[in-house]
Amino acid sequence: MKYFFDKNGPLISTYFLISILFWIVFLIIIPQLYMLDLSFRPNLPPLLRGGPDDVHTLVHYKHFIFGSETSQDKFNYVDIGVFFNTIFTAILVTVINLCFCYPIAFYMAKVASPSTSRLLIISLIIPFWINELLRSFALRILFAGEGVINNVLLGTGLIDTGINFIAQDVALYTGLTYAYILLMIFPLYNAIESLDSNQLEAAKDLGSSTIRTHWRIVIPHAKAGIASGCTMVFMLTAGALATPVVLSSPNTYWFTQLIYQWFNMNDNWSRGSAYSILLLTISVTFVLLMMRIFKVKIGEIIR
Amino acid sequence: MKSGHLMNALLGIYIFIFFTYLFGPLLIMSVTAFNSAEFPSITPWECFSWRWFNEGKIAYDGQKLAGLATDWRLHDGFISSLIIGIGVVILSVPIGLAASIVLTQVHSRLRTIFYSISIMPVLFPGVIIGISTVVLWDRIATIGGEGFISDLGRNGIFLTILGQTCFISTYCFLIFVARLQRFDQTQEEAALDLGATQTQVFFKILIPYLMPAIASSAVIAFLASFENYNTTVFSILSDQTLTTVIASKVRLGISPAISALALVIILLTLILAIAYEVIRRREDKKKEERQNRLLFEETNDSRLKKDNKKTFKLPRSIFLFLLIIVLGGFGLNELAKNGLYGNECVKAAETAKKSKFSDQLKLLQQNVNTVDENTLKGGTLGGTNDYNNIFADPNLFKNFGGFDNKTEK
Repeated sequence: MKYFFDKNGPLISTYFLISILFWIVFLIIIPQLYMLDLSFRPNLPPLLRGGPDDVHTLVHYKHFIFGSETSQDKFNYVDIGVFFNTIFTAILVTVINLCFCYPIAFYMAKVASPSTSRLLIISLIIPFWINELLRSFALRILFAGEGVINNVLLGTGLIDTGINFIAQDVALYTGLTYAYILLMIFPLYNAIESLDSNQLEAAKDLGSSTIRTHWRIVIPHAKAGIASGCTMVFMLTAGALATPVVLSSPNTYWFTQLIYQWFNMNDNWSRGSAYSILLLTISVTFVLLMMRIFKVKIGEIIR
Repeated sequence: MKSGHLMNALLGIYIFIFFTYLFGPLLIMSVTAFNSAEFPSITPWECFSWRWFNEGKIAYDGQKLAGLATDWRLHDGFISSLIIGIGVVILSVPIGLAASIVLTQVHSRLRTIFYSISIMPVLFPGVIIGISTVVLWDRIATIGGEGFISDLGRNGIFLTILGQTCFISTYCFLIFVARLQRFDQTQEEAALDLGATQTQVFFKILIPYLMPAIASSAVIAFLASFENYNTTVFSILSDQTLTTVIASKVRLGISPAISALALVIILLTLILAIAYEVIRRREDKKKEERQNRLLFEETNDSRLKKDNKKTFKLPRSIFLFLLIIVLGGFGLNELAKNGLYGNECVKAAETAKKSKFSDQLKLLQQNVNTVDENTLKGGTLGGTNDYNNIFADPNLFKNFGGFDNKTEK
């Protein structure tokens, strides 16, 4: 500690300490711990808080699994269904994104000339400076009942009646894939770019096929990039709120929408917190899983 | 060799599809901003108009659809977004700076733990950061009682700034860490040996070195704050930012005014991106020229001389611009020829729609006249006749003093 003060001088040390403590303790740790605590408490009106009824309870987690006490079903099929649907869709979107982005990333990193790949990078970034809501809105215009795609298909006579893309969740899946594509491309691009091109040529000279080269050389090298891209896309997709708000059909819920509903419409903050904790748990589990599978450190996942 | 050509062609097609996927929706959305119809679309093209950028319109059925310039909600939201963005920059850049410098000074175990905690907020879903900020501050406001703390804890803008700072600080932190990795520690030592105090070293050496990182992290922090929705929607409470206004608009029904807003944002982004690229290229060129000159002076070799000759090369992007201008001119010309532009067109479309609407209204009224009075009352059995008028007892409010009308004048 003394060493720290000596090294930085009193003024700067104070500034460092205050800002770091403020950030880590006050903005990161305490809010999360308080939310964890709240998720184990019953939903009470403000006046009763801190009173004798304010005890720790598992009621909200029970509600997630077994449903409300008045319901007939054995389990809470609706909420559990939404939860697993969200996770499953997020994984699907992540895999689609990975397959979709890998060729582009490889092209930019190894095939294209530097100026071309610069141009490509800039044109990739531009759409992602635009608000997520507005990008989803653009897809909404395309997919709506009287939207562009339906009108074109009807106009060319390919279909007779309009397809309801939004009710069938096509719009939602497209939107989610669209929303975070950049966060998959860049880690991949960075990882592939650091590969020595001589290795590729050596493999070619030794008679390896294209697929084999990718499988044995490029993909093992880009491991950290793949892990990083998959983690980011999964996290953001599972925690997305803007895209589902715009594009999901009335009878499909995203887990974050469920949280939003408990929180803002039903005013049950502690249940909202409990559901948030579930979402957080699944996100952290996924990160740990990725770290284990790809054997990378957490520092490599986030650049 | 032939398979190579095939591969290249396939790759080209793939890249084309990819970028169509990326830009197509945005392009179509931009075009719909100029269609005068109430629903943002292209194919039933009504008229070319600027109305969604200006005053909007009052639809034929009396519904008011605000345009970009007259929508006070958007303006209020824009202003609070600006305030929040500035607040986040002021908080998160110093935090990221401090954390990254301290990271260079701690070692081994502590360093790993510190780094892991610092990047954790990026891994939290945004909604969770928003919720945890709100629940904590609601508690603080309750404990704090009446007065300043209570007001602060229930102020949406303040909470949003805190919530966003939580994870935007990490972005800044990562930018600073990347820059600090290339910092030459001997500079610091030299300054200290020459008698500078630590504070002087910090302000005279470290800060100037980090200046580019400070600038870029400020820009990124502002942009991230400006377009954030997931955290903001929880922590903003009763206030509104630009993104929450857009979200509520989109949810209520989609209007071309949103397309117009998006087009404005797209154009701003494009201008920024082009400016950034131009500046970068100019700097690169300067650096290259300087290096060439140095090389030339060192070797004094005439072979390198021709590289120094200034050549005027037409940038390829010019052709793209020319193409856009030609296409735009052609399109406008077509629009004008077919009478799809201007007030007459809009008026004609309006009257067409109004007459259609009034036809439907007339049809409805005719239907009303043909309806049997008896069925309306609920048929012969039940209904008003049998149970009296339970839905609207005419005597119910007879002795009620009426609402307090005086205050409303």
